[in-house]
Amino acid sequence: MRTQDGSSRGLVQALADRGIFGILIIILVGIAGYYLLPNNLALLTRITATALLVLSIDLVTGYCGVATLGHAALFGAGAYGAGIASAHFGINEPISMTLIGAAAGALAGLISGFVILRAHGLAQLVLSIAVVHLAHEAANKASGWTGGSDGLSGIAPGAIFGVFEFDLWGRTAYVYGIVLLVLVFALLKILVRSPFGMLARGVREDSLRIAAMGASAHSVQMRMYVISGIVAGIGGALSAISTQVVGLDSLSFTLSAQSLVMLVLGGVGSLYGAIIGTVVFMFFEDTVSAANPFHWLTIVGALLILVVLFAPKGLYGSAIALSSRLTRRKSA
Amino acid sequence: MRKLLTTVFALAVMSGAAYADTIKVGVIGPFSGPFALQGKNFKAGIDAFFAINGNKVGDNQIEVVYRDVPTADPAKSKAFAQELIVKEGVQYLAGFYFTPDAMAAAPLLQQGNVPMVVMNAATSAIVSASPNVVRTSFTTWQTATPIAKVAKEAGASKMITLVSDYGPGIDAENAFKTAFEKEGGKVVESIRMPLNTNDFAPLMQRVKDSGAEALFTFLPSGPPTLAFVKAYNDNGLKTAGIKFYATGDLTQESDLPALADAGVGLQTSFHYAVSHDSPENKAFVAAAEKAIGNPAELSFPAVGAFDGMYVISKMVEATKGKQDAATAVAAVKGLAWTSPRGPVVIDAESRHITQNIYLREVAKDASGKYYNKEIRTFEKQGDPGLAAAKK
Amino acid sequence: MQTVLSIGIDALAYGMILFVISIGLSVTMGLMRVVNLAHGAFAMIGGYLASYAARDLGLHYGLAVLLAVVGTIAIAIPVERFLYRRIYGASELTQVLMTIGITFCVIGIANFVFGPTLKTVPLPPSLSGSVDLGFRSIAIHRLFAIGAGLVVAFALWFLIERTSFGIRIRAAVDNAAMAAALGVRTEIVYAISFAVAIGLAALGGVLGAELLPVEPYYALRYMVTFLVVVSIGGAGSISGALVACLLLGAIDTTGRYLAPEYGEFFFYLAVIVIVTLFPRGLMGRLK
Repeated sequence: MRTQDGSSRGLVQALADRGIFGILIIILVGIAGYYLLPNNLALLTRITATALLVLSIDLVTGYCGVATLGHAALFGAGAYGAGIASAHFGINEPISMTLIGAAAGALAGLISGFVILRAHGLAQLVLSIAVVHLAHEAANKASGWTGGSDGLSGIAPGAIFGVFEFDLWGRTAYVYGIVLLVLVFALLKILVRSPFGMLARGVREDSLRIAAMGASAHSVQMRMYVISGIVAGIGGALSAISTQVVGLDSLSFTLSAQSLVMLVLGGVGSLYGAIIGTVVFMFFEDTVSAANPFHWLTIVGALLILVVLFAPKGLYGSAIALSSRLTRRKSA
Repeated sequence: MRKLLTTVFALAVMSGAAYADTIKVGVIGPFSGPFALQGKNFKAGIDAFFAINGNKVGDNQIEVVYRDVPTADPAKSKAFAQELIVKEGVQYLAGFYFTPDAMAAAPLLQQGNVPMVVMNAATSAIVSASPNVVRTSFTTWQTATPIAKVAKEAGASKMITLVSDYGPGIDAENAFKTAFEKEGGKVVESIRMPLNTNDFAPLMQRVKDSGAEALFTFLPSGPPTLAFVKAYNDNGLKTAGIKFYATGDLTQESDLPALADAGVGLQTSFHYAVSHDSPENKAFVAAAEKAIGNPAELSFPAVGAFDGMYVISKMVEATKGKQDAATAVAAVKGLAWTSPRGPVVIDAESRHITQNIYLREVAKDASGKYYNKEIRTFEKQGDPGLAAAKK
Repeated sequence: MQTVLSIGIDALAYGMILFVISIGLSVTMGLMRVVNLAHGAFAMIGGYLASYAARDLGLHYGLAVLLAVVGTIAIAIPVERFLYRRIYGASELTQVLMTIGITFCVIGIANFVFGPTLKTVPLPPSLSGSVDLGFRSIAIHRLFAIGAGLVVAFALWFLIERTSFGIRIRAAVDNAAMAAALGVRTEIVYAISFAVAIGLAALGGVLGAELLPVEPYYALRYMVTFLVVVSIGGAGSISGALVACLLLGAIDTTGRYLAPEYGEFFFYLAVIVIVTLFPRGLMGRLK
């Protein structure tokens, strides 16, 4: 195990742990995407917004052990928050819209955390489903504010800093999305390595022991839920700003389930896993559904089955496990 | 050597020319998931158009590119619309089963210089979203209004409405109520039912308690319509003489075999019945049945798609294959022709289709097949919904 | 009074149909500890087989039901052998991923093979129509579903609580290693329980087809309903599932009668209250 290049590997490891690599990679991939797929930027922006939602699920599922099939409630709150601010109150400055989305997400996180954290396991899953259905129904009922099933239109984000207009190619929206993703990723990296992040992991592993240490597992999870709400809310706001229409689908059970699937696909409990899962799933879906719009679901299903069979820890988790097994074998 | 070069050059020019003559149409619709049937009908309508008219307009070859948005998802729809415009280089956007999907793509049209032909989405306001939008389907206001007159003339003066609790349902409720009260009737109760209601028995109890003489309902085509009609029959409303009126979404042809005898006698109003008796429709149905594979799957979105392609072909003709949205849209304003559904015209002001609305009754033909039998025609119906929204 | 009684009957009928459709999932989740989101997919396969047998082949209703149950189990056996066996004991999230994958595949295949139209299972004359109860009429089919639900509930209870096979199941669930050491062939026990659960799913799919018609998206459309029933009843508890279904049927039916506009709110608020009060389900086996 211990080899001569241990110290340099230590440095690499330290950089990796602090997420420097991750940030560099996101920026590089972001730039590459801009130049390689200049005509697909709306898809890439959609992936970025979803990545924020999946990161937010990872915070509660991967780091706190909360199972949820209702996380779209937080994302949708952000989307409607930002959308309503623009459509009804004339707040068209994109950064303010994002902040309003983050606040709405945090509030939704507080409320759904309050409900969902009352149970565990299957009961928790069902509570989360109930929450997202109630949110969906509420948005459908309040059609004066939300446009109901016709969607909330009339969102008209202004130029960022008064300079960068939102255009047909979606360049501005994309760059804005990548900047948001990098910022959120960096802050989350700091968060999960902080004492609070450690405590959260402790809650997942053994909440009884955490309680014995004098910390309240419930309050840790609750705080994480609010943070997760901020992240999801930013994702929702990004979606509202770039699409300029918010539909009820952003509060749906389907979106919740799909994003959980993306997280598990990438690997639970790692921020990299969340992003990789989102990118792989959405790219795969986009490619096969364009190739065959009628029967692509079967192929996506087969992909999920194959991942469980051959990469049970998710793509990222299994890749890490494989690489560490290989290095161990080499050093042995 | 020289000859070879010339040949290569000639080939290059020719292939270049051939490429420029291909005009792409991007169609966004639900081709998988819970509404896959409707998307399949889009494709059948488009294929039927090509089968009858060929896929060439003048020298221009029309090519269709499909993109799947399984359920209403504006973000996805917009991403596809943008990709179709800037990457695939489509000159026309078409399809759109759900209102929010059309609304999300509408802001791209002006900048992209692309007309949009809505083949289904039925909310009145879509045509106001952009001057480049033309619609060849129907609106819920348009189909729900005439049946109020039918109900009143059949002797109902107190009615109850039951609609699915979402945009189109609420449109139907408002349209029916407005029209029925104008006829001098009274809607004693208006119930909005959650979209994923499975068991309608308790609602039938409500209908009984309300003292209404007839009911009007709107449900999106699909599984709940079956449970609704069964509940109406099983709970004794039919035998009690409470009459049943609905829009044609409830008795779309592809659902009739499942409804079977439970559906016979139901009266609905709609813009198109597969059984419509005209030479245009016979040709259309023959081609569309062939395109869809299983004739039992043919339903109303196919005719919206068929006429949508007709409108696009006229646009291509007017622009001579050049990308010019304003000329294209201007060319079809006031365009009148005989569609498989009957005489239609694109209203010059609203860019929505003016058409006949038919009263139909579900019947069983000699071979045991269920169909919508047209029994009355309301000619040249525009969209009352747009006016109502402007008030 | 008449209205109350009438609503009560509707609630009972709806609840029993829920029970028949969901009980198979309670078995997989409670006894086999598999979060089987593909439950609806198997119910749908059952519905398709029955519809094909009764409608296209013209077989008798009873025969069609039998064929659907046996056929679905036959389809499920290789799936269990090659896919489910890999996720027994895996984390819940892995199970979710695998079973959603299976569901997607089944939806795609059903769409391809049977097309997207609604399918029903034609009822024999003896089950169609409705009877007059004096103050109202009710579909005979609903009475049949109530009866079938009771029979299924009793048979399952008997199998699990009163037979030696039931003892083995319970032993394998509580401690697989210990049960194996005592000579219980856990693999076979699991395979049989799985077959029973799938058979029940298929039966539910067929009996419920009057209310929930079969179409490709069936597999996902009603998944939430199944999950809610199982969690409220307590996974693995037959009597719990029965009580949960009757309770949910009552809440749903009353809610839709009194305030149809807010039916959804009514239902999910009730779910939140019940789950919060009884986090292990009304009669949960899970610890």
